[in-house]
Amino acid sequence: MDKSSGNPTLLRWIDYNKCIGCGVCSAVCDFIHEGVSFIKLYDIGGGLVKPISCFHCAKAPCVEVCPTKAMRRDDSGAVYVDGSRCIGCMACLYACPYGIPELSIITKTSTKCDLCKQLRGDGLEPACVAMCPTKAIVIGVPQAVFDEAKKRALTRIMKAVMSFGGSI
Amino acid sequence: MKFAFLCKSKPTSMGKRVAIIGAGIAGLSAAGYLTCKGFEVDVYDKQPVAGGLAALAIPSYRIPYNNIDEGVEDLVKSFGVKLYLNTKVMCGERHDEGDDFVKHVVDLRNIVKEYSAVVITTGTWRSRKLGVPGEDAKGVVDALTFLYKLRLAEHGLAEEFWTKPKRVVVVGAGLSAVDAAEEALRLGAEEVYLIYRRTKKEAPAGEYYVDDLIAKGVKWLELAAPTKIIVENGFVKAVEFQRMRLGPPDKTGRPAPIPIPGSEFTIEADLVIPAIGEVSTPPFTQECAEFKQFLDERGYIISKGYRLGNTNMFVAGDVLTGPTKLGEACKHGLYTARDVERFLRGV
Repeated sequence: MDKSSGNPTLLRWIDYNKCIGCGVCSAVCDFIHEGVSFIKLYDIGGGLVKPISCFHCAKAPCVEVCPTKAMRRDDSGAVYVDGSRCIGCMACLYACPYGIPELSIITKTSTKCDLCKQLRGDGLEPACVAMCPTKAIVIGVPQAVFDEAKKRALTRIMKAVMSFGGSI
Repeated sequence: MKFAFLCKSKPTSMGKRVAIIGAGIAGLSAAGYLTCKGFEVDVYDKQPVAGGLAALAIPSYRIPYNNIDEGVEDLVKSFGVKLYLNTKVMCGERHDEGDDFVKHVVDLRNIVKEYSAVVITTGTWRSRKLGVPGEDAKGVVDALTFLYKLRLAEHGLAEEFWTKPKRVVVVGAGLSAVDAAEEALRLGAEEVYLIYRRTKKEAPAGEYYVDDLIAKGVKWLELAAPTKIIVENGFVKAVEFQRMRLGPPDKTGRPAPIPIPGSEFTIEADLVIPAIGEVSTPPFTQECAEFKQFLDERGYIISKGYRLGNTNMFVAGDVLTGPTKLGEACKHGLYTARDVERFLRGV
């Protein structure tokens, strides 16, 4: 994290236009976390299946509300649980607008995505980002992610314009 | 797809060789894991390109081939994975879809002897038949073959041999049915029917995708199943259907479609695409005395876990589970690879 301004330096964004709901993100996450995935797919009705995971909010309510300061932010801005401090009260779940944190029945602590802290430490990408077959999961410094999102939107708009016989 | 997502570079070699048979998502996921654990990985595939169904059946507007290819390139160039394309590994004889590109046939028994471990990820390269008269007529093309030929043409590996179909009938409501119907629309067919024996509610692809196709112009017809293909001069002319009603749940837990006698009707078509599922294609058949004990009477692999008995063979992905989504194939590939690692480390 940029300590002077408090701005997170990493942002992950799921491009739901590109996502086909194949479940590779969840599969690799499950595999590296011994059978627990921190990016989960849900059928929101009628077979529309998409993944959801922690947004690593810039002003994370879970970090604010945590009574033991177990919910923390690492140097890249990823919000993670310090298991040694967590008491499993799940105040973080109450605070989270997206229902992300879960209680591990094994460690009795809150668990959630840490953007693959360990892989990033080795200079690798989070597994879900690295393996997504549609490049729907984008990670980077926030401005780069915002630019990519707009470029993708523009590509869709231009494709639609061209398909109606427009000329540029 | 960065299949070697667990390591930056190849670690010191463990000096043990693993063969992976089938370069689909399960096989490539296993290859990525095993190469990151220091094993020498050789991947065999009968197709001219790697990626399996994700590269050769799933439409490229869903998964651009480049996304898979860059992961394969990375495995080969940065991690020393050897890729043997156009190579079918078999024990016993069987012809499946996509065998046309096979230049070399390697005996599975030799592979099993040469490598410390073998991972079987050969997928589901055979389509279920409708089982109605006239099914062998020209113009009846199963969804897998239809989607496969379209991908081959995109890869520049085949001519686009279809004259533009006018009236297309797709039978089924799974994801391959949905993809086939959408591709038929994109080919410029005048009318595309998607016909399913249950209702939209039971459609395996889900109501959302059926509604999406209807919005794009596909004609949806439910509670009807084909009874025969009407053939003229060897070519399909029409399909006869019978109306269905829903009965009590069958063994899949879904309401059973029950034919309504005397309710037959026909729909004219010049292209009929059965999309009623694909079946497992293991690299050995009942003719293979050494391994036939691992097959059931239908020729599918039976296995309690990923390892086949006490052999050095492991099995993962759709060949074991039947058709699934990419996520399942990837997950099985990774967990199998971990079992292979434990087996080879002797833990």
